[in-house]
Amino acid sequence: MGRLFVITLEGNLYSCKYCKTHFALSDDIISKSFHCKYGSAYLFNKVVNVTVGDKEDRVMMTGIHTVVDVFCVGCGSLVGWKYEAAREESQKYKEGKVILERFKVLGPDGSEYIPESFMAGPGSDSDDV
Amino acid sequence: MGGVEHEDPPLKRVKVSYEESDSFSSNASIRELARCLSNNSMARPLESQGDDKVVGVKGVVKKVELVRIIAEALYSLGYEKTGAHLEEESGIPLHSAVVNLFVKQIIDGEWNESLATLHNIGLMDENIVKLASFVILEHKFFELLDGEKIMDALKTLRTEIAPLCVHINRLHELSSLIVSPSQTALDGTSAQRLRIRSRKKLLEELKTLLPSTVMIQEKRLVLLVEQALDLQRDACRFHNSLVDEMSLLTDHQCGRDYIPSQTLQILQEHSNEVWFLQFSHNGEYLASSSSDCLVIIWEGKLDGRISLKHRLSGHQKPVSYISWSPDDHQLLTCGVEEAVRCWDTASGECLNVYEKSGLGLTSCAWAPDGRRIFCGVTDKSVCMWDLEGKDVKCWKGQKTIRISDLGISSDGKQLITVCKENIISLFEWESNSEKFIEEDHTIISFALSNDSKFLLVSLSNQELHLWNIDGTVMLVAKYKGHKHSRLVVRSCFGGLEQAFIASGSEDSQVYIWHRVSGELILTLPGHSAAVNCVSWNPANPHMLASASDDRTIRLWGLDQVNMTQNGEHSNGVCYCKGAT
Repeated sequence: MGRLFVITLEGNLYSCKYCKTHFALSDDIISKSFHCKYGSAYLFNKVVNVTVGDKEDRVMMTGIHTVVDVFCVGCGSLVGWKYEAAREESQKYKEGKVILERFKVLGPDGSEYIPESFMAGPGSDSDDV
Repeated sequence: MGGVEHEDPPLKRVKVSYEESDSFSSNASIRELARCLSNNSMARPLESQGDDKVVGVKGVVKKVELVRIIAEALYSLGYEKTGAHLEEESGIPLHSAVVNLFVKQIIDGEWNESLATLHNIGLMDENIVKLASFVILEHKFFELLDGEKIMDALKTLRTEIAPLCVHINRLHELSSLIVSPSQTALDGTSAQRLRIRSRKKLLEELKTLLPSTVMIQEKRLVLLVEQALDLQRDACRFHNSLVDEMSLLTDHQCGRDYIPSQTLQILQEHSNEVWFLQFSHNGEYLASSSSDCLVIIWEGKLDGRISLKHRLSGHQKPVSYISWSPDDHQLLTCGVEEAVRCWDTASGECLNVYEKSGLGLTSCAWAPDGRRIFCGVTDKSVCMWDLEGKDVKCWKGQKTIRISDLGISSDGKQLITVCKENIISLFEWESNSEKFIEEDHTIISFALSNDSKFLLVSLSNQELHLWNIDGTVMLVAKYKGHKHSRLVVRSCFGGLEQAFIASGSEDSQVYIWHRVSGELILTLPGHSAAVNCVSWNPANPHMLASASDDRTIRLWGLDQVNMTQNGEHSNGVCYCKGAT
């Protein structure tokens, strides 16, 4: 598929579970208290080497948000979502930030995340502190 | 009462008296005037067609001026008799009698008389009179010196030049020349020839000093015509024609057909995606690289077809960048984070392999003198090697990122790399000074113009930005329309005087923009997958090559069918096949 444009990061980084493409540094984590279908998810300030899908409005635990799905440029797997717009004032801090599902990425030490169970609950989002 | 019979509009009566008193007007002009007046009682006599003051449709060209510059043109072309005849027939003298006398006196060397005539010309600006007098007297001074009449020269200097109080510095120089004249005496005839020739130069200098209404500037008509041609060329949006004999007989306008838009050839020798290609400086060769780790050198034959010349194998990784040596005899290829190889164009042999143990090389470039090469290394440094492979110099630190291109200015002094995601560094390696281009989005690749004054930067927000890097770094233009979101898609300058920008795109088309206006001119479909790289032949502005993920290279050229219908003129505007 041509020569992929891939940025290389340095430091404690999170990378794609399948193709090891770098995504983000652990320094850029804003919050670890998010949830998704597959368990834990982290909110990152800055993520690289991802492409985005179409905008849609989703109902989340904290309200309706306009989000886009985020895919790895290397292998195309769905790795999380990005908040484009939030309806409520208190949720505005999420705008422009990216959620990476912990299940889809390798941690700084290369560790994988094994979800305890698949949540059948209300679904994704959180961090309504 | 009852005087209503002649309800003639007052103008007609005026016209009648005009006819009686004006003995110059010919019958034709009276008839025209009458026709105009009867058609339109609001006619303003000054601008109607019968009037002799202006020529041309717009009414801005004054007839007297036009005839004078035509006469000047005839004289400077050498047609003395025709020039004189024109002056006589039109009744418009090129120069007034006073000026003609002045010119004659200068040529004959009658200095004092010429100065008197100068005052008679009636110039408004005292300063001009003084400057002109200075120039004339300076010339007189030199001629006196040449003729060894030192005392006379001194007298001129003291009594005539000094009181003018202009060009004081020059005055001092002249006085020093009296003391130490540097010329040796010349014999009679050659001295005379020299004098007459330099008197002509004096005249030319005086022409520039005196206002243009007094003395017409040399070759004024030709100058005006050249300006018109320049304007036509600037206005030509698609100007890419080699056939550049701009004619005075028709307005110049290129149609879109002078930009490559048809696929002339499809090259299918690569067995995998083609990632990079580039024409050699002389335009005779094309080098391309593919993800199958091969590099191919293609050769252009006389019939315009391109054929395979050499297959260069040896790299273990796909080659991401190719750089031709300034003389095109050698080729540098860089494998992705691997080694750089130097090949001989004629034989296809690998001359040298440059590597750094434990590290990979990410980009390569030739120094403009062809004796050294620069490489980017995975540890973010840039290295300079000489041709034998000796490591000459290394610049450590955050100099380049893994995926960066490497560029060298044509004077060899500036190294251009992407040093951070959104920052390009222009590093002057001898003086160790650095300039930066900072962007808002991630930089994907860049291309340098031939004159090294402009940098075309490709960004992740799918825009191409053109920066001026000569002197102060400044954003000049933006180009949009193409698509790239994941791949390294390259763009280039091209066409006559690099007046166009071309780029590949992930939507399988080649995009071409007009560089100055930023307008998207053409999109060329044809490839069946993303177009990774484009290269415009530097020696042939009508040839463009594109490399694609569909494993082919396409050569684009002019639309041959339409070209043969060229050459029709109509009402003075020649469209080189009318553009739609």
